[in-house]
Amino acid sequence: MKKLIAVLSLAVAFPSAVMAAQDNVGGCGVGSMVFKGQSGVGPQVLAVTTNGISGNQTFGISSGTLGCTQDGAVRSNMKAALFIDSNREQLARDMSVGSGETLASLSHLLGVEAKDQAAFNRLAKDNMARIFTTESVATEQVIVALREVLASDATLSRYQAAL
Amino acid sequence: MRPICLIIFATLSLSQDLAFGATDNAYLAELVAKSRQLRLAERQEWLKLGHYVPNLISSGVHGLVDSPRFYNAPDGKGNPQSELEATLASFYSDIEESNEQQNPQCVFVARFEWLNEQLAFDPQRLPRRICKRYQQWHAALNPDGLTLVFASAYINSPSSMYGHPLVRVDAKDQDEHTRLLAYAITFAANTDESNGLAFAVNGLFGGYPGAFSILPYYLKVREYSDLENRDIWEYQLNLSQEEVDRVLRHAWELGPVYYQYFFFDENCAYHLLGLLQVARPELELTGRFRWWAIPSDSVRAITDHPDLVKKVVYRPASATVVRHGLGGLDKPERKLVKDLSMKRVAVNDPVLGILPAEHAAAVLETSQDYVSYRRAIGKDDVADPAGLARELLTARSRLDVVAQTAQIPPPKVQPDQGHRSSRVALGAGRKEGRGFQELSARATYHDIMDADGGYARGAQIEFFSLTLRHYDSGKAQVERFIPVNILSLTPRDVFFQSMSWKIAAGWQRVRTPDGNEPLVFSLDGGAGGTWSNEADTVLWYALLDGSSRHDSALANGYALGAGASVGGLLDLGQRWRMHGYVRSLRYFLGQRDTTRALGLEQRIALGRDIALRVDVARNRESERSYNSGTASILYYF
Repeated sequence: MKKLIAVLSLAVAFPSAVMAAQDNVGGCGVGSMVFKGQSGVGPQVLAVTTNGISGNQTFGISSGTLGCTQDGAVRSNMKAALFIDSNREQLARDMSVGSGETLASLSHLLGVEAKDQAAFNRLAKDNMARIFTTESVATEQVIVALREVLASDATLSRYQAAL
Repeated sequence: MRPICLIIFATLSLSQDLAFGATDNAYLAELVAKSRQLRLAERQEWLKLGHYVPNLISSGVHGLVDSPRFYNAPDGKGNPQSELEATLASFYSDIEESNEQQNPQCVFVARFEWLNEQLAFDPQRLPRRICKRYQQWHAALNPDGLTLVFASAYINSPSSMYGHPLVRVDAKDQDEHTRLLAYAITFAANTDESNGLAFAVNGLFGGYPGAFSILPYYLKVREYSDLENRDIWEYQLNLSQEEVDRVLRHAWELGPVYYQYFFFDENCAYHLLGLLQVARPELELTGRFRWWAIPSDSVRAITDHPDLVKKVVYRPASATVVRHGLGGLDKPERKLVKDLSMKRVAVNDPVLGILPAEHAAAVLETSQDYVSYRRAIGKDDVADPAGLARELLTARSRLDVVAQTAQIPPPKVQPDQGHRSSRVALGAGRKEGRGFQELSARATYHDIMDADGGYARGAQIEFFSLTLRHYDSGKAQVERFIPVNILSLTPRDVFFQSMSWKIAAGWQRVRTPDGNEPLVFSLDGGAGGTWSNEADTVLWYALLDGSSRHDSALANGYALGAGASVGGLLDLGQRWRMHGYVRSLRYFLGQRDTTRALGLEQRIALGRDIALRVDVARNRESERSYNSGTASILYYF
């Protein structure tokens, strides 16, 4: 049996175990941590949800942490920020072509109505380079830029409220 | 506004307090008597909510959940009746809900609902608590459907080798374009163990707690399809609103609990099915998984109920997207993609401007996808890939044409439509003129000769394969016992440079110089490359091999060797596959020997779960050559 275990671990155990260890950051404080780390809150939320399994908590969320989530559900004021932070690359790609499910999901979070959808996609495409100013731009700045871009458009400006 | 709300709330809860707290013993006794009379503790609904399964040897049942708080009665893990009675009693608890704790009525919100349905609680005598946290959670999820999501096999991760399932909670206000915003319920071993050996040992023997978690679906999509490059299949379930809510209530109960996690049986697939089957009283999903649960079989457990699946959606991994994008380009455009991605051609190079806008857009999109893919898998031979990605995106956003990446058609065979994952074989053959009969069995799951539909091409994962052989001369013996046999043949091309590798450990017959054939433990590994043709009907591989053998029958008790193997797999139509190979190993330490093998294996699929195999080989061991051949019939179940 010992040999079998050695083989298993040699063959397959390393990648995921190492990844799990790296992701294990934990915590997601309101206002501060969301925008601080370059690694993104995505991994941190993952870590939170898989942390601590003591009896009183539901879905492993510590109530003492000012987290992005409550009982595993993302707080409503965090939804757009967490989404943008976790999907930056895919969002930039969708904006560059003016369509895609990541862009559709963002517009859903912002409450964009069906009649404004095409204009929203158009605006995002035309301003992709302005929203993602550099490759390492912080999520906070992406949100600020997106807000400015929306504000510049008469019909779409009302959607910046959800950001 | 806020303080007023608080005051109102405080007053409300104060007035409610007066009604709570004291147990109405007479009424509790009445409820208990009624539950016994109705034999509620024997009902499927109750057994499922308590995760009770029949004991293996003795009669009776035991609960699978390992956190003690999940069972209210001291003997609740083994006694559904006393657990039911203790649960009824706990509903009188005076615990107030806070961020730290919940009232048992809210902790066990599914049990309360079901017991209330059966016993029709009198709200005067058993006052109902308001479960604010549960209600908020339910409102945030806003569920109106459930989807079983299956991320296909990822051979490089021990917990995902067979693929990985999760349950997605689809919200009322979402559609197919905004499913990223749904929540995903997952079950996983809970560990930050970074030592591979410890991870494997603990995973096999239940050393880690396994727990449910819930998180936005987009995080799992990013993880699977972008980082790990796995195609995702979504099986939308055909459930009523009440059935969905039943599952959600039980998910809430399971949120804080843990189980001992076992790779083979009590794994993610098993526990997710245990959650889903509370949807309907008669729905039985976990029963068949007594010894091991393969995630793709968990999909089958669902699709075997024909009315349970509404729709199947395919979500291609990033590498699949790149491959598809490349397929739509001509040869010079493909070269341009490669050159742009490697920074051999600048993004502002005039060569792009000459192309029609649609073609330029397609080249830019595919280049960007390829750069992202390379970043995700950790290739860092191009300086500043993130900057390059942004340049490509910016150039693309300036082209006024619609997205060129077309809808990618799903593979012909879904993961639940491939051959079943266990196999037995009955065969007969000859070796050096001696006739024999063979019986083989394999616990799981796929080898390179099996039909690929529903499985990853070139990925062989076999666990616990045993072959018994009986010679006409009267001898019956174990011919081979291979607990682990993994082979990954991933084709390479200009864009994808994956390494191929193999590892196998087990006991097999080895010819020694004295002419005997002892059963020798052997550990084999190898690494190399694989190449395919464009039609995907041929795979060529070349591997450098290492081998170590251990047995007292060998000189010094061991043999250490190195060598190479070369082979080709050829598909002649859907049913017929041929595999020719040459292998040579030189054992230079311990028991010295030079072994050679030249062989041809053939498989003809007669149906999804039945196939013919004809294998012939010429081997050389201990200075002697011999021929052998076997014909067998294979049955997958």
